Amino acid sequence: MPKYILLRIARWIPGVILLLLFVYALMFYGAGDPVRLMFLKEPGDVAWDTERMNAIREELGLNRSFLVQFGEYIGKVFKGDLGNSLVQRRSVNDMIKSTFPVTLQIALAAAFLVGLFGIPLGIIAALNQNGFWDNLILGAALFVWSIPSFVTAPLLMVLLCLNFKILPVPYGWKGVFTVNAILPLFVASFRPMALVIRQTRTGVISVLSEDYIRTAKAKGLSGFTIVVKHALRPVLTPVVTQLGIVFSNLISGSLFIEIIFGIPGIGRLMKSSIVDSDYSALMGCVLVILAVITLINLIIDIIYPLLDPRLRAQQVREK
Amino acid sequence: MTLNTEMQMPPTQINPLEEDTNTKPFSIWQDSFGRMMKNKLVVISLVLIIILLFMAIFGPYITPYDYLAQDLTKRNESPSAMHWLGTDQLGRDVFSRVIYGARTASLVSLLVVFLSSLIGLVVGSIAGYVGGKVDFVLMWITDLIMAFPYLILGVVISVSLRPPLTEWMEDRFLATGNPIFRQTSFVDVFIVIIVITSTAWPPYARLVRSQVMMVRGQNYVTAARALGLSQMKIVRKYIIPNSIGPVIVQMSAGLGSAMLTESALSFLGIGIRPPIPSWGNMIQDGLLVWRTAPHLLVAPAVVLGLMTVAFSFLGDGLNDALNPKQWK
Repeated sequence: MPKYILLRIARWIPGVILLLLFVYALMFYGAGDPVRLMFLKEPGDVAWDTERMNAIREELGLNRSFLVQFGEYIGKVFKGDLGNSLVQRRSVNDMIKSTFPVTLQIALAAAFLVGLFGIPLGIIAALNQNGFWDNLILGAALFVWSIPSFVTAPLLMVLLCLNFKILPVPYGWKGVFTVNAILPLFVASFRPMALVIRQTRTGVISVLSEDYIRTAKAKGLSGFTIVVKHALRPVLTPVVTQLGIVFSNLISGSLFIEIIFGIPGIGRLMKSSIVDSDYSALMGCVLVILAVITLINLIIDIIYPLLDPRLRAQQVREK
Repeated sequence: MTLNTEMQMPPTQINPLEEDTNTKPFSIWQDSFGRMMKNKLVVISLVLIIILLFMAIFGPYITPYDYLAQDLTKRNESPSAMHWLGTDQLGRDVFSRVIYGARTASLVSLLVVFLSSLIGLVVGSIAGYVGGKVDFVLMWITDLIMAFPYLILGVVISVSLRPPLTEWMEDRFLATGNPIFRQTSFVDVFIVIIVITSTAWPPYARLVRSQVMMVRGQNYVTAARALGLSQMKIVRKYIIPNSIGPVIVQMSAGLGSAMLTESALSFLGIGIRPPIPSWGNMIQDGLLVWRTAPHLLVAPAVVLGLMTVAFSFLGDGLNDALNPKQWK
């Protein structure tokens, strides 16, 4: 088992380094001169004073070659230092520390909701295969899946807050268990639920035709016991994987929900750093999101054989 | 029984059960089309998409107002007989702008699907046909891009492409004096297409690769090789035509998702930017005044929602019609 985990990690590292290099190179060559960007918003014309600019550049070590700077940046990143913001006088670490927990809360709560409602709905659909409920649930899932969150969120906002006045206008973030959180969480869990429903449905349908389920039926077990105790176990493995993917999508898709509902999370930080051309903050956000997603992928890879004994047996056999 | 010689159909793909029926002979494509037309949702989606294309081509000539014409005396007006969907912050007609948005959306998504399926076809068929180390490296890159969240990649590419491109355009303008280089919308469309294409091609490559690997072992390919046909010719004449079916399904889904990504980028302010209307940037603009003028938000959101739903139902219908393995 430890060997398997190490192998997985070893496979991830070159990919991660390559991605970092790619992102850094794009920012380095594309984004423009960071020193000039730093002073463009300051009073006075420092930004056009070439001599002073060169002095500052030398002082900050920005005139060295790309690879040297990249190496230094990687070294710092692995120590957990993301550098300083170009626009605000704060470290990027600080900015992310104050925003990321909010995004994490939303993503966790939404992923929980997705599992809570998605799995039962998928089971219901599978048990009524090709029946009315199945068609309804599948149709609704496809419908919901095709609408992006930046369309659902505004429409629901207009409908519920303006036309029916059921909910107060959500703005800002005060925690998961407040009225303000209802709409963002609903919108966030809306689309991914379709994925989980479909996955659960196909899983349950394929499992129901297996021999051991027939045995359970022949033994006279109730439908509920058969589904929950026997059919669900092998289905849950791919569903858990799917939930991991859903979670990483929620983190990177937080941009839309946070912009629309004014939630001070990492997505909004990203948006504001795009607007302000604050590339070091943007880079920090990108790296943190990437790190989380890589971590999730790694965890999925590692727990997959733990959840599914068949895979574990296969590994033993391969040895 | 008509053999579709143009598509180089291998005889095995034709349903032998149809041979002794008395009905008129029909090809596998007609058969698929007939099956697709039985699904009402698919027909509705198809109609919506045809309307979209019509709007994209002829829209700007039939709208009552110019999409840029401002009338500051009529700002944020609600829908009325004169302005069917009301007016926006600058008094522009929202209906005309939504219709012009169809042009932006279709232009971008058609080009993206064309480019990304082309790249996918090339990469996938090379990886699948050549195999070995080439296959390993190409698929590693493909997987890496697929594992990367497309939105984050999009943000990074678009943010870093814009400054150098804008600079280059300005240089060209100063050098040539040609006003075409002052058109910022060209840069926008170019960047959006590059961004979406670079994240959209991996699924095509994977799909084509698996298809090619399946077709590669068929007897007619071995026969072609035995006849001494060149590698290029085998790939072009036998492998690609026989593996294209699922790619068509993917292309239909790709149109919808490219449209969605374009709006998403425009919504974030890094795609198509005002004054050129895109549904995404209209939603973003509408968000500023949604409490007083909700129609600014609702109009583009509903149209975008309808279009993405239409593409996804069409993709689903195409999948049912074209993938014979799922027939039950």
